[in-house]
Amino acid sequence: MTRDVHQQAQEWIALTGVDGLGLDDAQQSQLQTHLRECDSCRGYADATSQVVRSLRSVPMAATPVLVRRTQARVRQHAQLLRQQRERLWMVGIACAGIGFSASVTIPIMWKVFSWLGNWAGVSSPVWETGFGIFVIAPALLVSVLLLARGRHLTDDAGRWRS
Amino acid sequence: MNAAALYFVNGMESETSAIARGLRRRDPDLLDRLIEQYQHRLLRYLTYLTGHRELAEDLFQETWIRVLERGHQYDGKHEFSTWLFSVARHLCIDSMRKKNPVSLDGLLDDSNDARAPLDPVDIRPSALEMIAQHEHADRINAALTCIAAEYREAVVLRFQEGLTLDEIAAVTGAPLGTIKSRLYRGLNLLMPLLKGAQA
Repeated sequence: MTRDVHQQAQEWIALTGVDGLGLDDAQQSQLQTHLRECDSCRGYADATSQVVRSLRSVPMAATPVLVRRTQARVRQHAQLLRQQRERLWMVGIACAGIGFSASVTIPIMWKVFSWLGNWAGVSSPVWETGFGIFVIAPALLVSVLLLARGRHLTDDAGRWRS
Repeated sequence: MNAAALYFVNGMESETSAIARGLRRRDPDLLDRLIEQYQHRLLRYLTYLTGHRELAEDLFQETWIRVLERGHQYDGKHEFSTWLFSVARHLCIDSMRKKNPVSLDGLLDDSNDARAPLDPVDIRPSALEMIAQHEHADRINAALTCIAAEYREAVVLRFQEGLTLDEIAAVTGAPLGTIKSRLYRGLNLLMPLLKGAQA
Protein backbone atom coordinates (compact mmCIF):
# COMPACT_ATOMS: atom_id res chain seq x y z
CA MET A 1 0.00 0.00 0.00
CA THR A 2 1.33 3.39 -0.87
CA ARG A 3 0.74 6.50 1.19
CA ASP A 4 -1.58 7.81 -1.51
CA VAL A 5 -3.92 4.85 -1.06
CA HIS A 6 -4.17 5.51 2.67
CA GLN A 7 -4.71 9.19 2.10
CA GLN A 8 -7.37 8.47 -0.50
CA ALA A 9 -9.16 6.10 1.86
CA GLN A 10 -9.06 8.62 4.69
CA GLU A 11 -10.39 11.37 2.45
CA TRP A 12 -13.26 9.13 1.38
CA ILE A 13 -14.01 8.35 5.02
CA ALA A 14 -13.89 12.02 6.00
CA LEU A 15 -16.13 13.10 3.15
CA THR A 16 -18.68 10.32 3.12
CA GLY A 17 -18.49 8.63 6.50
CA VAL A 18 -17.34 5.13 7.31
CA ASP A 19 -20.14 3.46 5.33
CA GLY A 20 -18.96 5.24 2.20
CA LEU A 21 -22.38 6.53 1.23
CA GLY A 22 -21.96 8.84 -1.74
CA LEU A 23 -19.14 6.81 -3.27
CA ASP A 24 -19.78 4.77 -6.37
CA ASP A 25 -19.81 0.98 -6.11
CA ALA A 26 -16.20 0.52 -7.18
CA GLN A 27 -14.92 3.13 -4.72
CA GLN A 28 -17.02 1.69 -1.91
CA SER A 29 -15.71 -1.78 -2.59
CA GLN A 30 -12.14 -0.46 -2.74
CA LEU A 31 -12.62 1.36 0.56
CA GLN A 32 -14.10 -1.65 2.36
CA THR A 33 -11.34 -3.92 1.06
CA HIS A 34 -8.71 -1.45 2.19
CA LEU A 35 -10.30 -1.09 5.63
CA ARG A 36 -10.19 -4.87 6.11
CA GLU A 37 -6.47 -4.88 5.38
CA CYS A 38 -5.24 -1.64 6.93
CA ASP A 39 -5.22 -1.16 10.71
CA SER A 40 -4.24 2.50 10.43
CA CYS A 41 -7.16 3.45 8.19
CA ARG A 42 -9.54 1.32 10.25
CA GLY A 43 -8.41 3.32 13.26
CA TYR A 44 -9.05 6.51 11.31
CA ALA A 45 -12.53 5.26 10.42
CA ASP A 46 -13.26 4.47 14.07
CA ALA A 47 -12.03 7.91 15.11
CA THR A 48 -14.25 9.50 12.46
CA SER A 49 -17.24 7.54 13.71
CA GLN A 50 -16.50 8.70 17.22
CA VAL A 51 -16.30 12.35 16.16
CA VAL A 52 -19.58 12.08 14.27
CA ARG A 53 -21.29 10.31 17.19
CA SER A 54 -19.99 12.94 19.60
CA LEU A 55 -21.21 15.80 17.42
CA ARG A 56 -24.65 14.26 17.11
CA SER A 57 -24.88 13.58 20.82
CA VAL A 58 -25.05 17.24 21.88
CA PRO A 59 -28.68 18.32 22.17
CA MET A 60 -29.26 21.91 21.17
CA ALA A 61 -32.85 23.00 20.98
CA ALA A 62 -34.62 26.26 20.39
CA THR A 63 -36.82 27.19 23.33
CA PRO A 64 -40.60 27.48 22.82
CA VAL A 65 -40.35 31.13 23.88
CA LEU A 66 -37.88 31.86 21.09
CA VAL A 67 -40.06 30.09 18.55
CA ARG A 68 -43.21 31.93 19.63
CA ARG A 69 -41.42 35.28 19.70
CA THR A 70 -40.03 34.66 16.22
CA GLN A 71 -43.42 33.66 14.87
CA ALA A 72 -45.01 36.76 16.36
CA ARG A 73 -42.29 39.00 14.90
CA VAL A 74 -42.64 37.42 11.48
CA ARG A 75 -46.42 37.85 11.49
CA GLN A 76 -46.08 41.47 12.59
CA HIS A 77 -43.51 42.14 9.89
CA ALA A 78 -45.68 40.40 7.29
CA GLN A 79 -48.55 42.73 8.19
CA LEU A 80 -46.28 45.76 7.86
CA LEU A 81 -45.09 44.58 4.44
CA ARG A 82 -48.69 44.00 3.36
CA GLN A 83 -49.64 47.54 4.39
CA GLN A 84 -46.68 48.96 2.49
CA ARG A 85 -47.66 46.96 -0.55
CA GLU A 86 -51.26 48.16 -0.37
CA ARG A 87 -50.04 51.73 -0.08
CA LEU A 88 -47.86 51.29 -3.15
CA TRP A 89 -50.86 49.91 -5.05
CA MET A 90 -52.93 52.94 -4.05
CA VAL A 91 -50.21 55.31 -5.22
CA GLY A 92 -49.86 53.37 -8.46
CA ILE A 93 -53.60 53.44 -9.13
CA ALA A 94 -53.73 57.17 -8.33
CA CYS A 95 -50.84 57.87 -10.71
CA ALA A 96 -52.50 55.86 -13.49
CA GLY A 97 -55.79 57.70 -12.93
CA ILE A 98 -54.09 61.07 -12.98
CA GLY A 99 -52.17 60.18 -16.13
CA PHE A 100 -55.29 59.03 -17.92
CA SER A 101 -57.27 62.05 -16.80
CA ALA A 102 -54.50 64.42 -17.86
CA SER A 103 -54.13 62.86 -21.30
CA VAL A 104 -57.86 63.34 -21.89
CA THR A 105 -58.37 66.80 -20.40
CA ILE A 106 -55.16 68.62 -21.41
CA PRO A 107 -55.86 68.71 -25.19
CA ILE A 108 -59.41 69.88 -24.49
CA MET A 109 -58.27 72.57 -22.07
CA TRP A 110 -55.60 73.68 -24.55
CA LYS A 111 -58.29 74.29 -27.13
CA VAL A 112 -60.47 76.08 -24.55
CA PHE A 113 -57.57 78.38 -23.53
CA SER A 114 -56.76 79.01 -27.17
CA TRP A 115 -60.37 79.98 -27.88
CA LEU A 116 -60.50 82.18 -24.74
CA GLY A 117 -57.20 83.86 -25.73
CA ASN A 118 -58.55 84.65 -29.20
CA TRP A 119 -61.88 85.84 -27.78
CA ALA A 120 -60.14 88.12 -25.23
CA GLY A 121 -57.64 89.29 -27.85
CA VAL A 122 -54.50 88.41 -25.84
CA SER A 123 -51.26 87.19 -27.37
CA SER A 124 -50.38 83.51 -27.50
CA PRO A 125 -47.63 83.61 -24.77
CA VAL A 126 -50.15 85.10 -22.34
CA TRP A 127 -52.86 82.48 -22.68
CA GLU A 128 -50.20 79.75 -22.92
CA THR A 129 -48.75 80.94 -19.58
CA GLY A 130 -52.22 80.96 -18.11
CA PHE A 131 -52.75 77.47 -19.35
CA GLY A 132 -49.44 76.38 -17.75
CA ILE A 133 -50.43 77.83 -14.37
CA PHE A 134 -53.87 76.22 -14.67
CA VAL A 135 -52.26 72.81 -15.29
CA ILE A 136 -49.49 73.05 -12.70
CA ALA A 137 -51.41 74.61 -9.80
CA PRO A 138 -53.66 71.59 -9.04
CA ALA A 139 -50.69 69.25 -9.35
CA LEU A 140 -48.75 71.34 -6.82
CA LEU A 141 -51.73 71.39 -4.49
CA VAL A 142 -52.20 67.63 -4.76
CA SER A 143 -48.46 67.07 -4.17
CA VAL A 144 -48.57 69.08 -0.96
CA LEU A 145 -51.67 67.19 0.19
CA LEU A 146 -50.10 63.83 -0.66
CA LEU A 147 -46.92 64.73 1.21
CA ALA A 148 -48.97 65.71 4.26
CA ARG A 149 -50.96 62.49 3.96
CA GLY A 150 -47.77 60.47 3.55
CA ARG A 151 -46.30 61.92 6.73
CA HIS A 152 -49.52 61.13 8.52
CA LEU A 153 -49.34 57.50 7.36
CA THR A 154 -45.69 57.23 8.39
CA ASP A 155 -46.56 58.49 11.83
CA ASP A 156 -49.36 55.94 12.01
CA ALA A 157 -47.01 53.14 10.99
CA GLY A 158 -44.52 54.25 13.62
CA ARG A 159 -47.18 54.17 16.30
CA TRP A 160 -48.35 50.75 15.11
CA ARG A 161 -44.84 49.33 15.19
CA SER A 162 -44.20 50.57 18.68
CA MET B 1 -33.89 5.94 -11.50
CA ASN B 2 -36.16 3.39 -9.89
CA ALA B 3 -39.79 4.02 -8.99
CA ALA B 4 -39.16 4.60 -5.28
CA ALA B 5 -36.40 7.12 -5.95
CA LEU B 6 -38.56 8.86 -8.55
CA TYR B 7 -41.45 9.02 -6.08
CA PHE B 8 -39.13 10.46 -3.43
CA VAL B 9 -37.67 13.09 -5.78
CA ASN B 10 -41.12 14.10 -7.05
CA GLY B 11 -42.39 14.30 -3.50
CA MET B 12 -39.50 16.50 -2.46
CA GLU B 13 -39.96 18.74 -5.51
CA SER B 14 -43.66 19.17 -4.83
CA GLU B 15 -42.93 20.05 -1.22
CA THR B 16 -40.22 22.58 -2.08
CA SER B 17 -42.46 24.03 -4.81
CA ALA B 18 -45.25 24.42 -2.28
CA ILE B 19 -42.83 26.19 0.06
CA ALA B 20 -41.68 28.47 -2.77
CA ARG B 21 -45.28 29.35 -3.66
CA GLY B 22 -46.11 30.02 -0.01
CA LEU B 23 -43.06 32.21 0.44
CA ARG B 24 -43.99 34.24 -2.63
CA ARG B 25 -47.42 34.80 -1.07
CA ARG B 26 -45.78 35.51 2.30
CA ASP B 27 -48.12 32.99 3.82
CA PRO B 28 -47.84 33.45 7.61
CA ASP B 29 -49.15 29.96 8.37
CA LEU B 30 -46.48 28.41 6.19
CA LEU B 31 -43.83 30.51 7.90
CA ASP B 32 -45.08 29.42 11.32
CA ARG B 33 -44.78 25.81 10.22
CA LEU B 34 -41.31 26.31 8.76
CA ILE B 35 -40.09 28.05 11.91
CA GLU B 36 -41.23 25.11 13.98
CA GLN B 37 -39.86 22.56 11.54
CA TYR B 38 -36.38 24.07 11.24
CA GLN B 39 -36.04 25.65 14.69
CA HIS B 40 -33.46 23.26 16.11
CA ARG B 41 -31.35 22.84 13.00
CA LEU B 42 -31.16 26.56 12.32
CA LEU B 43 -30.38 27.52 15.89
CA ARG B 44 -27.74 24.81 16.16
CA TYR B 45 -26.09 25.97 12.94
CA LEU B 46 -26.12 29.62 14.03
CA THR B 47 -24.86 28.78 17.49
CA TYR B 48 -21.92 26.83 16.17
CA LEU B 49 -21.23 29.46 13.53
CA THR B 50 -21.24 32.40 15.93
CA GLY B 51 -20.08 30.63 19.06
CA HIS B 52 -22.64 32.61 21.09
CA ARG B 53 -26.08 31.40 21.99
CA GLU B 54 -27.58 34.88 22.49
CA LEU B 55 -26.27 36.19 19.20
CA ALA B 56 -27.50 33.03 17.53
CA GLU B 57 -31.01 33.61 18.93
CA ASP B 58 -31.03 37.18 17.59
CA LEU B 59 -29.86 35.96 14.21
CA PHE B 60 -32.44 33.19 14.33
CA GLN B 61 -35.21 35.80 14.42
CA GLU B 62 -33.54 37.99 11.81
CA THR B 63 -33.15 35.01 9.52
CA TRP B 64 -36.90 34.38 9.48
CA ILE B 65 -37.60 38.06 8.89
CA ARG B 66 -35.20 37.88 5.93
CA VAL B 67 -36.92 34.71 4.72
CA LEU B 68 -40.22 36.60 4.80
CA GLU B 69 -38.79 39.57 2.91
CA ARG B 70 -36.84 37.62 0.31
CA GLY B 71 -38.90 34.48 0.10
CA HIS B 72 -39.60 35.17 -3.57
CA GLN B 73 -35.91 34.45 -4.26
CA TYR B 74 -36.31 30.80 -3.26
CA ASP B 75 -36.94 28.89 -6.48
CA GLY B 76 -38.16 25.63 -4.98
CA LYS B 77 -35.73 23.60 -7.06
CA HIS B 78 -33.40 22.87 -4.15
CA GLU B 79 -33.86 21.84 -0.56
CA PHE B 80 -35.35 24.64 1.51
CA SER B 81 -32.84 23.98 4.30
CA THR B 82 -29.95 24.76 1.93
CA TRP B 83 -31.43 28.14 1.08
CA LEU B 84 -32.31 28.80 4.71
CA PHE B 85 -28.77 28.10 5.91
CA SER B 86 -27.44 30.31 3.15
CA VAL B 87 -29.67 33.20 4.29
CA ALA B 88 -28.61 32.63 7.90
CA ARG B 89 -24.96 32.53 6.94
CA HIS B 90 -25.13 35.86 5.10
CA LEU B 91 -26.86 37.46 8.06
CA CYS B 92 -24.22 36.05 10.35
CA ILE B 93 -21.42 37.47 8.22
CA ASP B 94 -23.18 40.85 8.06
CA SER B 95 -23.58 40.84 11.81
CA MET B 96 -19.94 39.96 12.44
CA ARG B 97 -18.85 42.56 9.90
CA LYS B 98 -20.76 45.25 11.76
CA LYS B 99 -19.22 44.23 15.06
CA ASN B 100 -15.72 43.74 13.77
CA PRO B 101 -15.01 45.23 10.34
CA VAL B 102 -12.40 42.93 8.88
CA SER B 103 -11.91 41.37 5.48
CA LEU B 104 -14.46 38.87 4.24
CA ASP B 105 -11.97 36.02 4.43
CA GLY B 106 -11.28 36.79 8.03
CA LEU B 107 -14.89 36.98 9.10
CA LEU B 108 -15.17 33.37 9.97
CA ASP B 109 -11.64 33.01 11.22
CA ASP B 110 -12.05 33.46 14.94
CA SER B 111 -9.03 31.38 15.86
CA ASN B 112 -7.52 34.29 17.79
CA ASP B 113 -10.71 35.38 19.50
CA ALA B 114 -11.47 34.72 23.09
CA ARG B 115 -14.15 32.10 22.74
CA ALA B 116 -17.29 32.08 24.77
CA PRO B 117 -18.51 28.59 25.51
CA LEU B 118 -21.51 27.48 23.53
CA ASP B 119 -24.65 27.09 25.47
CA PRO B 120 -26.52 23.98 24.46
CA VAL B 121 -29.94 23.26 25.82
CA ASP B 122 -29.80 19.89 27.50
CA ILE B 123 -32.71 17.59 28.02
CA ARG B 124 -31.68 15.87 31.23
CA PRO B 125 -33.75 13.52 33.29
CA SER B 126 -31.57 13.37 36.39
CA ALA B 127 -28.95 15.41 38.24
CA LEU B 128 -26.13 12.95 37.62
CA GLU B 129 -26.97 12.63 33.96
CA MET B 130 -27.29 16.37 33.82
CA ILE B 131 -23.77 16.86 35.09
CA ALA B 132 -22.37 14.17 32.82
CA GLN B 133 -24.15 15.51 29.77
CA HIS B 134 -23.17 19.04 30.57
CA GLU B 135 -19.52 18.09 30.84
CA HIS B 136 -19.76 16.10 27.66
CA ALA B 137 -21.43 18.98 25.80
CA ASP B 138 -18.87 21.42 27.17
CA ARG B 139 -16.05 19.27 25.94
CA ILE B 140 -17.48 18.95 22.46
CA ASN B 141 -18.30 22.62 22.26
CA ALA B 142 -14.83 23.54 23.46
CA ALA B 143 -13.36 21.27 20.81
CA LEU B 144 -15.52 22.82 18.11
CA THR B 145 -14.60 26.35 19.10
CA CYS B 146 -10.93 25.41 18.96
CA ILE B 147 -11.03 24.92 15.22
CA ALA B 148 -11.39 27.71 12.68
CA ALA B 149 -14.96 28.69 11.89
CA GLU B 150 -14.87 27.65 8.23
CA TYR B 151 -13.83 24.12 9.26
CA ARG B 152 -16.39 24.10 12.06
CA GLU B 153 -19.10 25.19 9.67
CA ALA B 154 -18.28 22.45 7.16
CA VAL B 155 -18.17 19.76 9.85
CA VAL B 156 -21.43 20.91 11.47
CA LEU B 157 -23.28 21.12 8.17
CA ARG B 158 -22.02 17.72 7.07
CA PHE B 159 -22.20 15.63 10.20
CA GLN B 160 -24.82 17.38 12.31
CA GLU B 161 -27.19 18.71 9.68
CA GLY B 162 -26.57 15.92 7.20
CA LEU B 163 -26.14 18.17 4.19
CA THR B 164 -24.46 16.78 1.10
CA LEU B 165 -21.19 18.25 -0.11
CA ASP B 166 -22.99 20.01 -2.96
CA GLU B 167 -25.49 21.51 -0.53
CA ILE B 168 -22.68 22.74 1.72
CA ALA B 169 -21.04 24.33 -1.30
CA ALA B 170 -24.35 26.02 -2.13
CA VAL B 171 -24.78 27.30 1.43
CA THR B 172 -21.26 28.65 1.78
CA GLY B 173 -20.74 29.71 -1.81
CA ALA B 174 -17.37 27.96 -1.79
CA PRO B 175 -16.17 25.56 -4.50
CA LEU B 176 -16.69 21.85 -3.89
CA GLY B 177 -12.95 21.24 -3.63
CA THR B 178 -12.66 23.83 -0.89
CA ILE B 179 -15.51 22.22 1.02
CA LYS B 180 -13.86 18.81 0.78
CA SER B 181 -10.62 20.25 2.01
CA ARG B 182 -12.30 22.07 4.92
CA LEU B 183 -14.18 18.97 5.92
CA TYR B 184 -11.12 16.76 5.80
CA ARG B 185 -8.97 19.21 7.72
CA GLY B 186 -11.73 20.05 10.19
CA LEU B 187 -12.29 16.40 10.97
CA ASN B 188 -8.57 15.81 11.40
CA LEU B 189 -8.35 18.77 13.75
CA LEU B 190 -11.31 17.55 15.79
CA MET B 191 -10.10 13.97 16.16
CA PRO B 192 -7.40 14.57 18.77
CA LEU B 193 -9.62 17.07 20.57
CA LEU B 194 -12.51 14.65 20.86
CA LYS B 195 -10.46 11.55 21.54
CA GLY B 196 -12.22 9.55 24.23
CA ALA B 197 -15.34 11.72 24.18
CA GLN B 198 -18.35 9.44 24.26
CA ALA B 199 -21.99 10.36 24.58
